Amino acid sequence: MTEEWELVSKATEFIAEEMGVALQRSALSPNIRERMDHSCAVVAPSGAIVAQAEHIPVHLGSFKVGVEQLLAALRSTSSEPGRREMILVNDPYITGTHLNDLMVLAPVHWRGSLVGFVTNKAHHVDVGGSVPGSLNPRAGDLFGEGVVVPPTTIVRASRLDAGAFRLLGSNVRDPEVARGDLEAQIAANRMGVARVRDLFDRFGKALVERSWEESRSRVSATVARALGRMRHGRFSAADAVELGPRMLPIRVSLRVSGAGVLADFQGTSEQVAAPLNAVLGVTYSATAFAVRAALAMTFPTNAGFYDRVQVRAPPGSLVNPDRPAPVSGGNVETSQRIADVVLEALAPSVPHPIPAASSGTMMNIMVGGRRASGRRWAYYETIGGGSGGRSSGNGVSGVHTNMTNTLNTPVEVAEKEYPLLFTSYALRPGSGGVGRFRGGDGLVRGFRLLEPATVSVISDRFYRGPPGRDGGASGRPGRVRLRFRNREKQMPSKFTVDLEPGAEIIVETPGGGGFGAPTRRPRRPSSPAG
Amino acid sequence: MRSRGRSGARSDRTRSAPSRDRSAHHAGGTTVVAVDIGGTFTDIVLQRGSEVSLVLKRPTSSQEPSQAVLAALEELDDIAGGNLVHATTIGTNALLQGPERLSHGVSLVTTQGFRDVIEIGRQNRPSLYDLEFRRPRPLVARRDRYEVPERVTESGRVLVPLRRNSARRLAVSLRRAGARAVAVSLLHSYANPVHERRIAAELRSRVPFVSVSSEVAPEPREFERTSTVVVNAWLMPLVSQYISHLGGGLPKLGIGSASVMASSGGLVSLEEAATRPVQIIESGPAAGVVAAAETARRAGLSSIISFDMGGTTAKVGTVHDGRVGLTAELEVGGDSHHGRRGKGTGYPVRFPFVDLAEVSSGGGTMIRRDPNGTLTVGPESAGSAPGPICYGRGGTVPTLTDANLVTGVLAPTLLGGEMKLDRAAARRGFARMGDPLDVAEQALRLADLEMARALRMVTVERGLDPRHFTLVAFGGGGPQHAARLATELRMSTVLVPRHPGVFSSIGLLLADWRYEARMAFPKDLPRDLEALRRQLRRRFRAGRFSAAVECRYAGQGSELSVPLRTEDRRRVAREFERLHEVTFGFRLTRGVELVTLRLFGERSRPKPSFGFSPSSAGPTGTRTLRWMGRDLPLETFGRDGLARGARIRGPAAIDEYGSTTLVPPSWTATVLPDGLLRLERSSR
Repeated sequence: MTEEWELVSKATEFIAEEMGVALQRSALSPNIRERMDHSCAVVAPSGAIVAQAEHIPVHLGSFKVGVEQLLAALRSTSSEPGRREMILVNDPYITGTHLNDLMVLAPVHWRGSLVGFVTNKAHHVDVGGSVPGSLNPRAGDLFGEGVVVPPTTIVRASRLDAGAFRLLGSNVRDPEVARGDLEAQIAANRMGVARVRDLFDRFGKALVERSWEESRSRVSATVARALGRMRHGRFSAADAVELGPRMLPIRVSLRVSGAGVLADFQGTSEQVAAPLNAVLGVTYSATAFAVRAALAMTFPTNAGFYDRVQVRAPPGSLVNPDRPAPVSGGNVETSQRIADVVLEALAPSVPHPIPAASSGTMMNIMVGGRRASGRRWAYYETIGGGSGGRSSGNGVSGVHTNMTNTLNTPVEVAEKEYPLLFTSYALRPGSGGVGRFRGGDGLVRGFRLLEPATVSVISDRFYRGPPGRDGGASGRPGRVRLRFRNREKQMPSKFTVDLEPGAEIIVETPGGGGFGAPTRRPRRPSSPAG
Repeated sequence: MRSRGRSGARSDRTRSAPSRDRSAHHAGGTTVVAVDIGGTFTDIVLQRGSEVSLVLKRPTSSQEPSQAVLAALEELDDIAGGNLVHATTIGTNALLQGPERLSHGVSLVTTQGFRDVIEIGRQNRPSLYDLEFRRPRPLVARRDRYEVPERVTESGRVLVPLRRNSARRLAVSLRRAGARAVAVSLLHSYANPVHERRIAAELRSRVPFVSVSSEVAPEPREFERTSTVVVNAWLMPLVSQYISHLGGGLPKLGIGSASVMASSGGLVSLEEAATRPVQIIESGPAAGVVAAAETARRAGLSSIISFDMGGTTAKVGTVHDGRVGLTAELEVGGDSHHGRRGKGTGYPVRFPFVDLAEVSSGGGTMIRRDPNGTLTVGPESAGSAPGPICYGRGGTVPTLTDANLVTGVLAPTLLGGEMKLDRAAARRGFARMGDPLDVAEQALRLADLEMARALRMVTVERGLDPRHFTLVAFGGGGPQHAARLATELRMSTVLVPRHPGVFSSIGLLLADWRYEARMAFPKDLPRDLEALRRQLRRRFRAGRFSAAVECRYAGQGSELSVPLRTEDRRRVAREFERLHEVTFGFRLTRGVELVTLRLFGERSRPKPSFGFSPSSAGPTGTRTLRWMGRDLPLETFGRDGLARGARIRGPAAIDEYGSTTLVPPSWTATVLPDGLLRLERSSR
């Protein structure tokens, strides 16, 4: 048999995917079960990603960076996990995302030796800190964003370590939810370990290792061929994220060659004392996302792809901050802008047209407080917007784009779980930029508080809407209004307020940019794109 | 005939069902015709008295579904006085054609502020890295979405009352707009349907087809419920027209009554299908699992996996503890990717469906090398035209059927010698990709892996261990791959039924009547069950009931279905916790929520036995089998020439009309008393 490697590498991909299903099915919070804010991977002993199943792109490359940094941290402290042990970590300077993403890593041992790891990441709805939901618009450092868990043994002898969990549980608002989700992560890893061991039983160590290597080199070759069809050279682009009245520039200079894409972020803003800093893992993820999307081809995600994407980000900058700069919004907002600028820079290099910019913000809404029963609650939602117009047609309305792809929380579920009453959930007509092909429309989502609560928003694109391409107009910027006692107030893109019952928040997300000059627009019925 | 809500359906059924049932119990006299209309073939199975007496496979004659059924019936003699049970693709085809190609539209009524929920969906996109992604076109155009001022809270309390005037004004403007089908979906209507009912009452006197969410899918999650009721309203005119055409033709053929297979594996009357057409969308695929379940019951097995491999796909389902595995939701008209339905690619429907994982591994599935040199199997299929290379009908890309032929699994002639296969041409097809035998065998193993994955989805991902199941294999390709697939999953036993090629249509004869009703957040189980029983009795004369509750830990986002054996909430909660531990490996110290109470009303039908006339013709010859890179001599047998109790050691192949069963090395086949073939793996 000449091609056994393919059976083994396919089987490995299936393992990563089945881990994701197990995690989603057994998690407790709607954030994971309904919104699928989690990802899983199978890793070689070297730290190279063998297979991964990511549900949201921000986890794409952060696994590569996260696993490398975690293994290095474990080695430097000689605290590698033993058999039937698992490591928990959420320090973003290791995991490569933000504190809310808890990462659990399990070693796979087979016949007495370490043959790999399985790992997963899931966004926990609350990890402590001063605001419910933990994404704290006012955080001046990492410690204001929740509890920092360094690499910690969370599973010993196959059981959740009660002491280690107590330390985490005492620092979050709903320890029961945290435990439910963590148990689901552990269960997913346990399944992954058993399946990888089974793979070694069936095919033997030599063949499995050869197969993993083979699938890496095949993907690497696939990407190289696509790179060969691109225009080589240097391409640059710039955009910005908003901080109060300031615009923080993000600049990228790409070097595209037959060997790969190198993204250099020289000239980007310095790090800030606000949660907009993107750790290197996020910067790498957003760059990898943009490259992968621009390649417009399908291949399994493994180290063979990562081998072709490199990032240089100045230390101490917005896209590679020094510890302990706050980072929660970097993961969700700055990541979008990084993807925007890399896509923009790639546009002249790829053979097919790149769409206009999409909404460019995840519009993170965190609401929480204390129920009359004394129980604390936290609700986290992100709201999609318009996707950019494309050469093939209008953009899509009311959809998550680029670095995220979570599902919404149904109104009927949110109202049952939390003291909220939703007042609207609709498209925002006319918000997509005009053009030969229009940008998709953003969304309007409004809710009223039924009990006192703290509302926080981390968003962007409030000053400048998503730009159009080739003569298309920008999409309309986002905005958030607060209505209380017949008064209405426009809110900034990042804020935290304590509100009384009856207060209503109305969120409007940006439309996508238009594609091409509007005069060249073909006559079509004016219905929102599907 | 038009169905206006439930009243019409009720009166029709109470007239027809009892008489049908009585005649069925008369010894010998009953004739039942089962017709399974597929895209390419129509399978017809005739039951006379208590035996399956005739099995036919014909090309589907007409693209018009009711004509196809009537044409199939016209092929048969002496069916006057008989009944029809059938599977229809009308729902599937309508969804495949898509909303834009249908002449009628559907309008939607929602709570003020929420009319776009049907378009927004869950905000996700179907593919992560595709910048040119599209979402399915909304089933309701924005101009056809209407809002009414009203609001009910999650507890069912009326916060903003619906004024009678606004309901009437709405109904009038919908009529003026020429609406033919209207769906109504208001927030939290599962908790309190009063506003939906008021609107429906106003609409039903003005619009031909009205469907309200609290009657079709009374469950929380506004997008999925709205999508369900919209799909329902959208199918109503089509299915009503279909039934009226069928109803016009059947009396001429002397057919007394007709019923349809629902996606949950039970039969429903045509009238029930017209009221809730969402329930017949996956009519055909359900029948195969029902047949497998009944085969298992007769063989004394409580847990089996059904494995149906046809021309374009392979479908896998489960029967666990005698129950067909169901799922509460399906995205219809969507894409599936390696057996998983892509979230956001189709239209979600909340109704019980037989839980099937479907992968593109059928006899016609194409084998290629991608630009990397990697061998790929599917997802494209050569279908029946041009078909596999070996059919000689112009196919140029090798398929799984070609691979089975080249490796010696298949005999060089099919259908009892009617069809000669071109082995040399198939071999040449593979030779372009390398050593033909190596490539063909590799492709078969990749297909096995893909099918094994589908099988894991319906077992391991549901907390079930496939090793405790028996594989029941059918469809033209199922028996060729069954033992290899079983080996892949460490299962030890495979059953191959009689007539595997038309086994799905036999399932139509083996199904019971089954109707469904449900209620969200039941508060008082005995009282709520009684209410559901009353509701079902209005629709159908049920003989027995079975209930399940979809439960979760408070705060969880999805549910586990707990079969209801008690009306005591605490015991239900305990059973849920046990099931949660089995499925996910842990329990929580947290309240258990009963989200949806579901009741099936059922009534049995007399089921036929399969004729089996054993003989003992012995081996028919030999061919060479390529197996794990080596050539092995393969002894061949004819399925009709086997004696009861005969034991055949692998490697062997058992050929029959429309299928071949491979008995691999270290497997043994035994002919059971009723003609079933049992394959067992020798221990090590």
